[in-house]
Amino acid sequence: MASEQQRPPGWTNNPSAWNQRLPIVAVALAGFGIATYLSLFQLEVIAAVWEPFFGNGSRRVLTSSLSTVLPVPDAVLGAFGYLLDAVTGAIGGKDRWRRMPWIVIVFGIAVGPLGFISVLLVIAQPVLFGSFCTLCLASAVISVAIIGPAVDESLASLQHLKRVKQDGVSVWRAFWGLRMAQPQPAFERVSSGAGR
Amino acid sequence: MWARVASIAVGIWLMAAPAVLAYGDPAATNDRIFGPTAAAFAVIAMSQVVRALRWANLPIGAWLVVAPFLIGYETTAAVSSMASGIALAALAAVRGQVSDSFGGGWISLLRANDGNRKSA
Repeated sequence: MASEQQRPPGWTNNPSAWNQRLPIVAVALAGFGIATYLSLFQLEVIAAVWEPFFGNGSRRVLTSSLSTVLPVPDAVLGAFGYLLDAVTGAIGGKDRWRRMPWIVIVFGIAVGPLGFISVLLVIAQPVLFGSFCTLCLASAVISVAIIGPAVDESLASLQHLKRVKQDGVSVWRAFWGLRMAQPQPAFERVSSGAGR
Repeated sequence: MWARVASIAVGIWLMAAPAVLAYGDPAATNDRIFGPTAAAFAVIAMSQVVRALRWANLPIGAWLVVAPFLIGYETTAAVSSMASGIALAALAAVRGQVSDSFGGGWISLLRANDGNRKSA
């Protein structure tokens, strides 16, 4: 019953259901673990890095000029990105696509660039440094794999905000999930002729 | 689903091919750019809600077919690039199963208004 009500109009599934979101959070936390491990190597807390396939590849990639172009090593930024994915994936209930569009949008924005940058780094490894790094590739796979399962919620929230706008209700209030901003259910709209 | 998996395999092949077939630039760099890119699009397009993104691999495939003529490849690299490109382009056209509905999808956001909502 509850899941019926929490499903967006015209959707087969509720994209904010826990069985849709928990796997994303779990995989993001795995990415956080990998990125944290690589960060520890880049910060010289640990002296060696696990590399089963590409010989000296991980060391060359992780100590490359590109990895130190920013004030913090790139794996630290990756770890932060995964943590942001996990936290923004976990906040809110099963109806957060309409109750908290802001967190859904932040989640979508957090997931997208992390995956994009990961692909760029996968390209940079062999093109600029002539080597691959196993755990960097694993991290990239995770960050790209999260995108598809995550963005359906963004679509549901954007459709919700569009409905709100059509009803002439404040999109700003709806974005922050303020109570008066929910659009009328379709049946009320039809019977009352709302929405002009 | 199989079309996405096959596209990912082609992308991974392009990443490995310069080492496996022992060819150098410009083919190696081109394959190392578009291999991971094609694989990433295929991974994302596994999700039904963004299945349309599979079409991103059509221009990538077309580029891999013509690149040997435009930037000069050795024979093995050219064969690998063209075969991979044809495969990616063909696989992009395979939609696969889309059983779920998403309230009109992304295109619904662009429509001026929603017919159902105005009809009353």
